[in-house]
Amino acid sequence: MINVKNLVHRYTIWESDTKKSKKTVLDDVSLDISPGQMVAVLGPNGSGKSTLAKHLNVLLLPDEGTVWIDGKDTKDVKALWNIRSMVGMVFQNPDNQIVGTSVEEDVAFGPENNNLPSKVIQEKVADSLRAVGLLHKRKISPLRLSGGQKQRVAIASALAGTPKCIVLDEPTAMLDPAARKEVINVINKLNKEAHITIILITHHTDEVVGADKIILMNQGHVIKEGTPKELFDDIGLLKEVKMDVPQVTELAWRLKKQGVPIKTPVLTEDQFVTEMMRIYNNDNIWEDC
Amino acid sequence: MMKVEHLKFTYAKKTVDECKVLDDISFDIQEGEFIGLIGTSGSGKTTLIKHLNGLLKADSGMVYFWGQNIYGRKYVLSKLRKEVGLVFQYPEQQLFGKTVLADVCFGPINLGMTKEEAEKSAKECLEIVGIDESYYYVSPFELSGGQKRCVAIAGILAMQPKILVMDEPAAGLDPKTKYMVFELVEKIRKTRNIAIVLVSHHMEDVACYANKVLVLHEGKLILSGTPQEVFAKTELLRRINMDVPQITSVTQKLIRAGFPLENPVINVKEAEDMIMEVLRKLGGEE
Amino acid sequence: MIRDITIGQYYAQDSAVHSLDPRTKLMGVLVYIVALFLVKNPWWYLLLFVVILALYRFAKIPYSHLLKGLKGIIILLVFTFVFRLISTPGMPMAQFWIFTITKEGLTKAVSLTVRIALMITGASLLSYTSTPRELADGLEKALGFLSKIHVPIHDMAVIVMIAFRFIPILIEETNMLMDAQASRGVEFEKCSVWKKCRNVFSLLLPLFLSAVRRASDLAMAMEARGYSGEGETSRMYPLVYHSGDRIAYVLMFLFLAGVMGMRIANIY
Repeated sequence: MINVKNLVHRYTIWESDTKKSKKTVLDDVSLDISPGQMVAVLGPNGSGKSTLAKHLNVLLLPDEGTVWIDGKDTKDVKALWNIRSMVGMVFQNPDNQIVGTSVEEDVAFGPENNNLPSKVIQEKVADSLRAVGLLHKRKISPLRLSGGQKQRVAIASALAGTPKCIVLDEPTAMLDPAARKEVINVINKLNKEAHITIILITHHTDEVVGADKIILMNQGHVIKEGTPKELFDDIGLLKEVKMDVPQVTELAWRLKKQGVPIKTPVLTEDQFVTEMMRIYNNDNIWEDC
Repeated sequence: MMKVEHLKFTYAKKTVDECKVLDDISFDIQEGEFIGLIGTSGSGKTTLIKHLNGLLKADSGMVYFWGQNIYGRKYVLSKLRKEVGLVFQYPEQQLFGKTVLADVCFGPINLGMTKEEAEKSAKECLEIVGIDESYYYVSPFELSGGQKRCVAIAGILAMQPKILVMDEPAAGLDPKTKYMVFELVEKIRKTRNIAIVLVSHHMEDVACYANKVLVLHEGKLILSGTPQEVFAKTELLRRINMDVPQITSVTQKLIRAGFPLENPVINVKEAEDMIMEVLRKLGGEE
Repeated sequence: MIRDITIGQYYAQDSAVHSLDPRTKLMGVLVYIVALFLVKNPWWYLLLFVVILALYRFAKIPYSHLLKGLKGIIILLVFTFVFRLISTPGMPMAQFWIFTITKEGLTKAVSLTVRIALMITGASLLSYTSTPRELADGLEKALGFLSKIHVPIHDMAVIVMIAFRFIPILIEETNMLMDAQASRGVEFEKCSVWKKCRNVFSLLLPLFLSAVRRASDLAMAMEARGYSGEGETSRMYPLVYHSGDRIAYVLMFLFLAGVMGMRIANIY
């Protein structure tokens, strides 16, 4: 679905009116994402993850290397609108990406730009809003929605373009925990039920435990790629790049260091409880190790 | 230091949108306290903190600062603004000074300090928040997001408040910068012995730093106490759509499953120690 | 102060008036205003008022909104009334200080004030029953002939829509900034002129920066959703006249014809 090979991106910094310098924000990044996958890109600010996201929708073009979306090179000008219709985008600030003065108007904005017949637009708008559970709010002004609902509208708007893939650039960074859950649930549902490829960019580790693959970035490089289990097995690396670790994962890891025979990584609360009870009910716990 | 009594506030009085935002709120703030104010969006947290420095005036109820009624006729509100520093969400968006130093001096000068005093105070505060001297005469807009936020916090701190109220100081920051900001707040509290009121959605952070927690729900103060006491009421918190720290939730599940922990805990270190104690005893008896 | 401004008055309801084509409604307001200027007798205002009341009922807009629309121009109304009352020559009725109130003055003042009030209630009904987008679309289509002479009428419609979307957000943001700067000791109401300028600057610069930031974010979001500023676009609800619109046009025509007929026949 998405192939990135040796992608390099540099920003120009104007130090004064005449002097400029280049800053490399993506350095030799390569990725391979298959259709239907849920991929999380994790990393601190300035790791280049947002820049990467913009390359996937041709909002930026590579300085070096190539990005293919469904086999199409993003540098190919003729493929531009085709690629944009395949990749939906959701950005961080819910207020700055809603164009319409009512919910359905916003969702219709993409299909309208593609000059689709009215009937088709109406169907798409209804389907997209149903998928994020906001069909009953279709006539309402976005001003009257909560943060989580606004982000769901943004997701619906991306969906209305019937994309194969949705890239979400820190969609939960400005939300409270309840709204974060609401948005993550919708994303998961789209991935599981509609089989849409999801690329979720975030710095909240607790949102990525359900992903098929996690890409850990730091200072423009991909420093680790793997399943959540593989990634959380190496808490040292996460701590090194100053990322949070879910508290249960950390607790399990600490207990293991003390010699408790717990199977790490532990990703969920239930898994932790099961593990602890197994150890507790086992008579000779200290002899195993 | 500050005492809030039976505060009531109604928004958009006598219109269709009328709603009670604050309903009979009472609490007090002591010197050096670290108060965590939590609640879902729309529970009235932001409205409440605007009462603490007199931006909003309550419909009924009293706010006393050092025993003086701030709604009293002779009370000078600008003095209160100086004593109760309010840091809003995304405070970096309020920066406008030509230089970092000038921006930080803005508040203190407005509130009656001389230029020299203000600069002295500003430099002290910039040092506390970790902004190097070399940045003093740089435009604040050239700094990174995290640095800008620190400058904005220094701008409030330079007024030398006795209470520092912060609305989601870590919103939108990555974990690294977030910890930096929280450590900073804790440092400020300790070195200056001022009270902190932290408004946050993040239960883990509140559990980690606060020594008193207030829970607001639909304009009412429904819980208050130490973090241990408050987070032990998991059921109640969940019912009003709020979280508890993951560690509290998981230790509760352990207890329910029959693991002999005395009570749920609120931080990882504590959980580790308690579990190890249980397991060691178990091993020792063998 | 800034805090009291509201904009975008759409009142969501499922009614026959709401579902009319915005062009029909624009025409309706036009007809209504023309009618207001045609009639002279106060009793006719009463009739027009009854028409408006019926339309509000028909559109399921509560009557409290009728007054809400007038609240914004109350000063204008009072001023018009007083000015007319004391400045019209004629038969004196009462006198105090240097002012004389005449019978003609009273009639004129009442009729003019009522006329303005009715005009605003009519226009408010339009904004209660049509979203800004519908209005923009209606104007776009009604003024479509302008695009033939290279007036970028479609771009203007998009601009109107975005303006309606962001003005409330920026107002909200201004309020927040006012609170934030007030917490830093700014007093917006009482201070010297020089200080006032500086204080306003402490709002304007952050506000300007935020607007730029929002604009660049929005531009990116729009581009990602296929907006290119050129080429054909379509509409989810294309403006087509339905039977309701036809009926409305007929009614409008009859109404206007009736009023004009009365006027010509001099039946007051």
